[in-house]
Amino acid sequence: MTTTQSTAPFDRASARRRRRRFPVAKSFISVILVAIAALMIFPLVWLVLTSLRPRNTVFGGSFFPTSITFDAYSTAWTSTNFGLHFFNSLWITSATVIGVVVSAALAGYAFAKLRFPFKNVIYVILLVTLMMPSTSLIIPLYLQLKSIGLLNTQAGLVVLYISSSSPFAMFLMRAFFEILPIELIQAARIDGAGEFTIFWRVVLPLARPGIATVIIFQFLGTWNEFIYANTVLQSTDALPLQPVLFGLLGQYQTDWPTLTAGLTMSIVPVVLVYVWMQRQFVAGMTLGAVKN
Amino acid sequence: MSRNSIPAPPWARVSMRPGGQSVWKLQRSERLAGYGFLLPITVLFAVFVGWPILFAMYLSFTRWSGFGAPNFTGFANYTRMLNDPVAAGAFVNTIVFALVTTIIQTAIPLVIAVLLSAVWAGLGVVIRTILFIPGIVSFVVSGVLWKLIYDPNLGTLNTTLKSLGLGDLAQHWLSNPHLVLPSIIVVSVWAATGMNMLIFFAGIQGVDPTYYEAAEVDGANRWQQFWYVTVPGLRVVTAIVISLNLMNGFKVFDIIYVMTGGGPSHQSEVFGTYLYGLAFGSTSGSIPQLGYGSAFSVVVMLLGGVAVLVQVILSKRANR
Amino acid sequence: MHSNNPFQRGSSFVSSEFDRRKLLKLGATVAAGAAASGVLAACSSGGGSGSSSGGTATVRIWSWYTEMKDTLPAVITDFEAKNPNIKIDSRIFGTPDQYLPALTAAVSGGDVPEIFAPHVRAITYGEQGISADLEKELGSSFLQNFFPPTNQEYTKDGKQYAVGWEAQTFGLFYNPDIFKQAGVNGEPETWDDLIAAAAKINAVGKASVSISCNPTTSALDFFLPLITQVADDPTYYLKLDQLQEGYTYTDKLVVQALELNDRIVKAKVFQPGTTGTSGDQAQQLFYTEGAAMFFAGSWTPSGLITNAPAAFVKKYKVMKTPAIKSGARHWTADQAGAGFAVSETSKNKDAALTFLKYLYSDAVYSDLMNKSNSMPSTQSAAEKITNPMLKLMTSWLPDGCPHIPFGAGSSAAGDPLGKIFDQSASPATVAQGMQAAVLNAKG
Repeated sequence: MTTTQSTAPFDRASARRRRRRFPVAKSFISVILVAIAALMIFPLVWLVLTSLRPRNTVFGGSFFPTSITFDAYSTAWTSTNFGLHFFNSLWITSATVIGVVVSAALAGYAFAKLRFPFKNVIYVILLVTLMMPSTSLIIPLYLQLKSIGLLNTQAGLVVLYISSSSPFAMFLMRAFFEILPIELIQAARIDGAGEFTIFWRVVLPLARPGIATVIIFQFLGTWNEFIYANTVLQSTDALPLQPVLFGLLGQYQTDWPTLTAGLTMSIVPVVLVYVWMQRQFVAGMTLGAVKN
Repeated sequence: MSRNSIPAPPWARVSMRPGGQSVWKLQRSERLAGYGFLLPITVLFAVFVGWPILFAMYLSFTRWSGFGAPNFTGFANYTRMLNDPVAAGAFVNTIVFALVTTIIQTAIPLVIAVLLSAVWAGLGVVIRTILFIPGIVSFVVSGVLWKLIYDPNLGTLNTTLKSLGLGDLAQHWLSNPHLVLPSIIVVSVWAATGMNMLIFFAGIQGVDPTYYEAAEVDGANRWQQFWYVTVPGLRVVTAIVISLNLMNGFKVFDIIYVMTGGGPSHQSEVFGTYLYGLAFGSTSGSIPQLGYGSAFSVVVMLLGGVAVLVQVILSKRANR
Repeated sequence: MHSNNPFQRGSSFVSSEFDRRKLLKLGATVAAGAAASGVLAACSSGGGSGSSSGGTATVRIWSWYTEMKDTLPAVITDFEAKNPNIKIDSRIFGTPDQYLPALTAAVSGGDVPEIFAPHVRAITYGEQGISADLEKELGSSFLQNFFPPTNQEYTKDGKQYAVGWEAQTFGLFYNPDIFKQAGVNGEPETWDDLIAAAAKINAVGKASVSISCNPTTSALDFFLPLITQVADDPTYYLKLDQLQEGYTYTDKLVVQALELNDRIVKAKVFQPGTTGTSGDQAQQLFYTEGAAMFFAGSWTPSGLITNAPAAFVKKYKVMKTPAIKSGARHWTADQAGAGFAVSETSKNKDAALTFLKYLYSDAVYSDLMNKSNSMPSTQSAAEKITNPMLKLMTSWLPDGCPHIPFGAGSSAAGDPLGKIFDQSASPATVAQGMQAAVLNAKG
């Protein structure tokens, strides 16, 4: 539990103080936090409970189901071909994350630490679409993909995702790179290292929290994306998970247990990625403090 | 990495004097690297963002339903926008939504993060994970869930209010024009708190404890320590969180689309939903209006570009 | 404040262990992705344009007819067994809102699916040369089997651009128990009867009629037949829909219909918040016995069988929409909301037509309709309906009138109509709003 250890010095000092004077405060705060957490998690508890009910009892029943069935999970798995779409999501998201990290890290570093003409102009131009809703360019994008011949391919979707997500990731990486002292780079230059070597060996290892942040954001964003996937991919086999799950929402009737079962199953990998990444994320931030 | 591991190229032996040949070569390699590193992102941008934007700009001067050829109509789309009450409403709603969510989604996670750093570490980890989960599910999922919660007859919110004897407070959360935007904002806060709180938490942990010790030696109590050490130390992180929230507020689409589709009667229409309707013909009747939609997206892009520019200038000034 | 730099000291401490671990994980993912892309490239890239490779024609069929989700695959397998060089790729979306963007994009890209649900764009697409003229392709003997309204709605200038798949009528589903509880006897015949009944039902704490006005095209399902009732002429709306010479939404008849609608809303016949209620929410209100009646179409029996408690499914009944006065015709909506069009430009048009004819063949079609509890569009299949509710509603078709805005821009009349349900505008203002909105959307 790296997290616990790294926050210990701060906590211990103030905890000592608190134990002497205000033992009540910590418990009081804990109660508040637990209440907040319970409130926040409630809708999702409903989600999981609904996936365990028989279909006719979703509404008009008590909060806790009187009869529990796992049928919805097997229905969700087979009727939606869950495994295939899950795998599609995994591969599309991973490829996107890698692509975004590569292009954003390179560009973020260039904007943060390198000097070259027109740097600021290019920076602003790349960021100009940061605020645009995803729906604004959907038809021109579709036509663009078609003219390149990448329509209805997962590769085309991945390239689309990378292109539209890189500016923001680049913005984040730049912020992380800015913190690094220029002396580090200059020293390496004096040593005779080439620019890419400096980037690869000196700077990148130090930007781990930044990369972890980008990975978390990008993984979440791409895993949950729906509109582009639905429009760009035509054949059902190629679709990732979200459009397929969303397709279970009917106009006049919805199979709630199956839908919620599918949604529950789709949340699992993201939780895993989060747990894996968050240690690096928080640890990286606090590492410097500990060392000091 | 040590000084001896990388072989020194010829120019390393020459001393670094400004104006000397060695400096020029270094600058050139730096410039080449700069453009080289930018290559992936700019190529992708040019092909998949730049070109569609240019195409949209062209379309904005035409009338096109997606099939057949576009008809050139000059500035007709732009003048129509000036008289379009739905577009004006979308503008107001988007700005309000972005500002309100930014304020709430920065303040509340900050408070929670501070509280979290004051409790037992084990409990803290559990609560952090729990609070993060609402942010993991897609907005499609959250939208559907909350739409059910807000259901005026069967939803948990109203039935709980009624069972507590507070039936008078039960409202039509999503169909009352005055309540629809606040109701959606609640959902946005619910989903965004976890991630923002995590960023603040990491930032708080990253503040050097020696500063706290120094402050304590100077006689500052816990409240003063928070105000004079923690808060300034969070400046960068807060700036990131604010720009994140502003950006997402401006771009919002999925959650409003799933919960109300922009209704009732365009009361919750924002840029994202209106553009969607114009592109696919949902709100405008049966036919897509790609010309008008493109004009609208050009305007949105300009507004967004101005906002980004302002942010960039402000942050450059702050870092000086 | 000078920012404390955590990285300066940390560089050599940052564990190379983490480096290796992370790189391994990344590498594994990339390798998996690369392997997967090889596997999936075979599946994904080929399926799109429906082009034949080595003599197999791929026919894509797109719709949102979720009632068929479980039953269509078996039909497809049978067909492919009998026609080895045709492959069917079926895609059933969840709602029209999920389906329409994909269709619009496909049309913009010039690659329309071989068979697709045309929604309200049937005629528009037909005139643009996107959907084929089925009068020519399928022949009048084939089309004669269909109920006339389902053919008429897709026809313009002698060309028919789609065929009806599921016919529809609308009715008032009701809960006899609540009627008894409120003291309502028999079925209300006129709107005045309904208003009187509503007063009694509201008095026992229930909503009277549950209706969905979200999206606003569902509100049009209720309102447009009122126009026919007021005009007593089912062709009136057909002409208004196409905005033919001399027909506008500000006509006296339309305003009268709006005033009638307004009166019904003012009498608190509907549940509060109709413009915020979606189709499934309105249905839930009915089967959780929060409302006595439910105004909806003939897809409802199928929905109730899957969603409602079994006891409820046994007891609910259905009646015709009230008439404007005693003895007048009830004029219920009768058009097919679900149809199929064939792409004019696809290379596999002939294969598509073969499959379409197979779908409509007597045994296959009526079996599909009965299994999914849907109302068929052909008269021969109508004779074989098994569900008693549907049988009853199908018998109302002769009193049918149009309710679907097929004309260019016509569905834009829905948003101003919402103001009547919201009570936020007067009938005269709404009529003007409708005219403006439709002209605006039409272009």
